Amino acid sequence: MFSYIVRRLLYTPLIVIGVLMVTFLLFRVVQGDVSAEYAGRSASPETVAEIRKELGFDKPLFVNTEAVSEHGVLAVFDSQFFHHFKNAVTLDFGRARVSKQKVSSMLAEGAIPSLTLTVPMFLGTLITAVSISLFIALVRGSTLDTSVVVTCVCGMSLPFLALIMFGQYFFAHKLQWFPIFGYEPGLAGAKYFVLPVLMGVFAGLGGDVRFYRTVMLDEINSDYIRTAKAKGQSTPRILYKHLLKNAMIPIISKVVLAIPFLFLGSLLTERFFGIPGLGYLMVEAIGQRDFQIINAMTFVISVLFVLGNLATDVCYALVDPRVTLN
Amino acid sequence: MRREVLIAWPIALLLVVSGLMLGCNGEGDAADEAGMTTTYGAISSKVRGMDPMDIGDTTSSGIASNIYDCLYQYHYLKRPYELIPNLAAEMPTVSEDGLTYTIKLRDDVYFQDDPCFTETDGKGRKLVADDFIYSWKRIADIKNISKNWWIFDGKIKGFDEFREYTKTAESKADVDYSRPVAGLEAVDDTTLRITLVKPWPQVVYYLAHLPSAAVPREAVEHYGDEFLNHPVGTGPYQLKTWRHGSKIVMERNPTFREVLYPSEGDPDDEAAGRLADAGKRLPLIDRIDITIIEESQPLWLKLMAGDLDIGGIPKDNFDTAISPTRDLTPELVEQGVVLEVYEDAATYWYGFNMEDPLLGNNKPLRQAMNLAIDRADFLKKFMNNRGVEARGVLPPMIAGYDEDIDSPYTVYDTELAKQKVKEAEAEYGGPLPMITLTMGGTDSTQRQTGQWFIRSYENVGLKVEVEYMDWPSMQEKVKTKSAQMYSMGWVADIPDAENFMQLFYGPNGSPGANNMNYKNPEVDALYEKIAVMDESPERVALVREMQQKVVDDLPCVLTIHRVVFILHYDWLNNYKPHVFQYGLAKYRNLDAELRQQRVGR
Repeated sequence: MFSYIVRRLLYTPLIVIGVLMVTFLLFRVVQGDVSAEYAGRSASPETVAEIRKELGFDKPLFVNTEAVSEHGVLAVFDSQFFHHFKNAVTLDFGRARVSKQKVSSMLAEGAIPSLTLTVPMFLGTLITAVSISLFIALVRGSTLDTSVVVTCVCGMSLPFLALIMFGQYFFAHKLQWFPIFGYEPGLAGAKYFVLPVLMGVFAGLGGDVRFYRTVMLDEINSDYIRTAKAKGQSTPRILYKHLLKNAMIPIISKVVLAIPFLFLGSLLTERFFGIPGLGYLMVEAIGQRDFQIINAMTFVISVLFVLGNLATDVCYALVDPRVTLN
Repeated sequence: MRREVLIAWPIALLLVVSGLMLGCNGEGDAADEAGMTTTYGAISSKVRGMDPMDIGDTTSSGIASNIYDCLYQYHYLKRPYELIPNLAAEMPTVSEDGLTYTIKLRDDVYFQDDPCFTETDGKGRKLVADDFIYSWKRIADIKNISKNWWIFDGKIKGFDEFREYTKTAESKADVDYSRPVAGLEAVDDTTLRITLVKPWPQVVYYLAHLPSAAVPREAVEHYGDEFLNHPVGTGPYQLKTWRHGSKIVMERNPTFREVLYPSEGDPDDEAAGRLADAGKRLPLIDRIDITIIEESQPLWLKLMAGDLDIGGIPKDNFDTAISPTRDLTPELVEQGVVLEVYEDAATYWYGFNMEDPLLGNNKPLRQAMNLAIDRADFLKKFMNNRGVEARGVLPPMIAGYDEDIDSPYTVYDTELAKQKVKEAEAEYGGPLPMITLTMGGTDSTQRQTGQWFIRSYENVGLKVEVEYMDWPSMQEKVKTKSAQMYSMGWVADIPDAENFMQLFYGPNGSPGANNMNYKNPEVDALYEKIAVMDESPERVALVREMQQKVVDDLPCVLTIHRVVFILHYDWLNNYKPHVFQYGLAKYRNLDAELRQQRVGR
């Protein structure tokens, strides 16, 4: 397996180069020069020219043959693509169009609050949903099972925005159990995350419980479960040792591929509860046509996605001996 | 079966949550405990940076103006707005030809202490006249791509040449700031002389406009591109914490010069208790804590919980706060909430591209499109009646505003509109084609507004379609003259009619400020006169004449002038609405005991 992981890791740079090619084509070739747009309504041609220079649109797309005679052979790399490549590898994505802040700093600053919110939300939803599903699988066809399924469907139908607004109004404002809004870094800020995390867990349960219930039901009627029961094994042992392990493949597929997106934060939750994460950054950047941010986020998410895929394959092999990595 | 194992996790989660909930409510503040008075406020959009050179939005100006100072400022209490010296020791001496302004500076002004002052171990140095010249040269330097060059463009002797020179420099570092500008002279450390190309009476207003604030060269060089995050000013506050997109905390600048609370104001200021702090040294509050809240529900809930001392009223909460008689509801009065209402210096409209062959050449059509709009209904549906109908271009607080303007087509009259549509069709030579209205936003309010316009025009027999796009895309479309009709407005930078009238000056056509591409030689001649005239009854008459001509031509559908409703608690003292919100926090005061009694904070 080790050699497989090493091999896959060696492939990763090639995939990243492919991603960079795609983002380059999207943001430099297809979209074209945005200098005039960045300069604003009343900008003079000189100002547009300065911005063009700053953004590197004054350079050739792929190779700078013109600069070779003046600056030597290495100047051939003084092109838009090589700068795009170099900036991505060094995580220097320039400055945001609107805020003028360094994009890499924005991503670093926003990632921690986002992950502080999404990781407990994700784990809370996962563990609760899997626990409920295991339990429900045992009582399949009962009134409790039907009630849970109906509740899940109702939960899935409830718009997340409405849930957030209700939760914030009722639990934070009316009952004053939680702060209404705010953020503090470090442990002092933990109190600000409780309500948003609980809302996120609650909102995610409907869909997840239904999904995991189906997975568990597929497994619970299998021969190995019947054998385990016949051998007189305890219910928790059957559930946790046999059923859960065998149900892991679809769970891993769902979970590991979701991990890269935790980085993106939670758009509505962050905005309503004042968590300065990355949830709204991408949406705002699209609205403001802030291509520096869009480019950076696209690149980072792509890389995380590639690594997530690798992690999925590795996890398959870890939980299922039938899977071998060659 | 050990079901308790299955539910152990949710129980554990609940225990953790319960633990975290302890002390959740209540927003205790360490600074308050340390004996500092803190005021809590909120802004609904992010601060984009605190470098005056590049500040172009009101939110960033409002915050940064507590850290930076300009030569002049608006009197806090007197209305109409009156300029008074700030960093200047007195109002400028103006030469007879109106071309030379000599400004004496105060000699007790220091930049706040900051590590950038390496020669003095971080102790802030004295402000000198050269600091202004340096700061304004930064705006002129094309390498800095400042948004604010328009302020000085073509106005100061030799300044355009300096800008031209900066274009020749290879990089930012190569620009020589010691290169003289004929019209900017530091006669000595406390005397600044500005020589203009032509009379520019509005210059004094712009010297109270935040982009003209002085910044220390040491800080610009020390922080480089990060200077926008490290403001070093001469103002009453200094930046303590700035968490982008979340919070800004400013604290009293200990080296702030002696500035006293005004001893005189308008007649109602005494009765309102706004002169109680007369003669006291500013700032009155030690600390300002600003939270960035972009959604209206949390903003409103925090205000109602007393977590904020002041805030606006979101659209959806307006009826909760304001009674049909436009007063505060009794519940809020009981909570100690005070309502302040003021007219903003703003006008909103839907501009016509006058170079569009259909709209530009068909005056009856433009008249019909104005007549078809029920502005009262628009205000009611979309703005909780927070505005007044616009009949002219100038908002009420600007000299030249004409309440009795002869504007027969900016009223709601569907019958006359239908008649004008017929005239328009006759002039066009057949049924009118579809007109496209471009909206600079894609949210639900924009879409509702768009639908409302479509219906209003359908009522008089006009076909209008609406396209929605983000604001930058719409601006691009307007700039390239490819929008037929679009949503737009103008908020005054200075309390002078010229600021609005430039929008109708022919040579300012797109991509300039006149994005309607409106051209009328008579209007242009009038603008050229008022632009160089001092405030006088004759100038007001010319402004009105110019406005009348614009309203006769109707290059836009005039809609409303905005009225602002602000709520604050009675523990926040000295609040007076101010259209030009630069550096106002220093005047506010706090009754911390009353706040403690009311909300326990």
